[in-house]
Amino acid sequence: MSNSKSWIKKIFITAVIIMAGTGIAIWYLFTQKFEDINNQKAVYSLNALDLIKEFQKSDSLANKKYAEKIIIVTGIVTEIESADTTVNIKLGDTATGSYAIFAFQHQNLNETKNIKEGDKVSIKGSCSGGAYSEILESEFITFKRCALNR
Amino acid sequence: MKKTTFIIVLALMSSALFAQKKTTTSGTINFDATTSLDALPKAENKTVVAALDTKTGAIAFEAIVKSFSFGNPMMQDHFNSDKWLDSDKYPTSTFKGKITNFTSVNLKKDGTYVTEVTGDLTIHGITKPVNTTGSVVVTGKAIAASAAFTVKLEDYGITSKAIEGGKVTREPKITVAVNF
Repeated sequence: MSNSKSWIKKIFITAVIIMAGTGIAIWYLFTQKFEDINNQKAVYSLNALDLIKEFQKSDSLANKKYAEKIIIVTGIVTEIESADTTVNIKLGDTATGSYAIFAFQHQNLNETKNIKEGDKVSIKGSCSGGAYSEILESEFITFKRCALNR
Repeated sequence: MKKTTFIIVLALMSSALFAQKKTTTSGTINFDATTSLDALPKAENKTVVAALDTKTGAIAFEAIVKSFSFGNPMMQDHFNSDKWLDSDKYPTSTFKGKITNFTSVNLKKDGTYVTEVTGDLTIHGITKPVNTTGSVVVTGKAIAASAAFTVKLEDYGITSKAIEGGKVTREPKITVAVNF
């Protein structure tokens, strides 16, 4: 009798632990936020023109390699596009019109104030991949959650 | 002489054609599929390519699906997975259409103009017609265009238990804003 009670107790405790563990895991997944890009380690570091060339050669292969990876890209600023709450910096290939564009994360918008066209910059961001634009007739590669690389 | 004239005319035509197409590479699209049960499924894409033909009112957008940035990593993974947008297979979403009452928009006069927009929206490899109202705000040489509409996820082949369970709305709101 006491042996049977002991088993029931063990099963009950195990069930409670599993339920609590599942609850904590679900809570963690639903409340998780992206870590600040400044604290994330880059997987690749390369020149903007080389990155653009790789996408021009085969964007499907380049997407497999770079999409959703943290990358540091260095190059010359060809354009700065800003609106109320966004600043995007472009590192472009003036010969083909293709470009990589970096949408800065909210907490790093201020650091873009002193950047101007022609400056050499190094930017870290999460690569969203690239595609051929029928509108622009060139390749475009986009990045999100970006910051200047320090 | 004839050859020179031809080249000049061709050059003028080319520049006129170029001048009538305004483009931006920093348009924004907000995706809001939140419900009373879940506030997480919403995202913003800040690197949308857009074009406006200032002669005809033709408009077009191109967005890389993986550029939609969510606050929650799990939600972003779900959004891109093969059960939702399947962004590996369908990397871009596009819109091609026109402002049907473009003759009522005076790009040489500052003001806010209500617009009627119609076109084809391609999401998840499926193209469906969209009709909506929007606005064009002219301030000097700057043109700001925006529109908001809803899409039925089912129309684009997207079904999920999260939709059935009310955690993701069946008809997310899409808000587009571009500055030319």
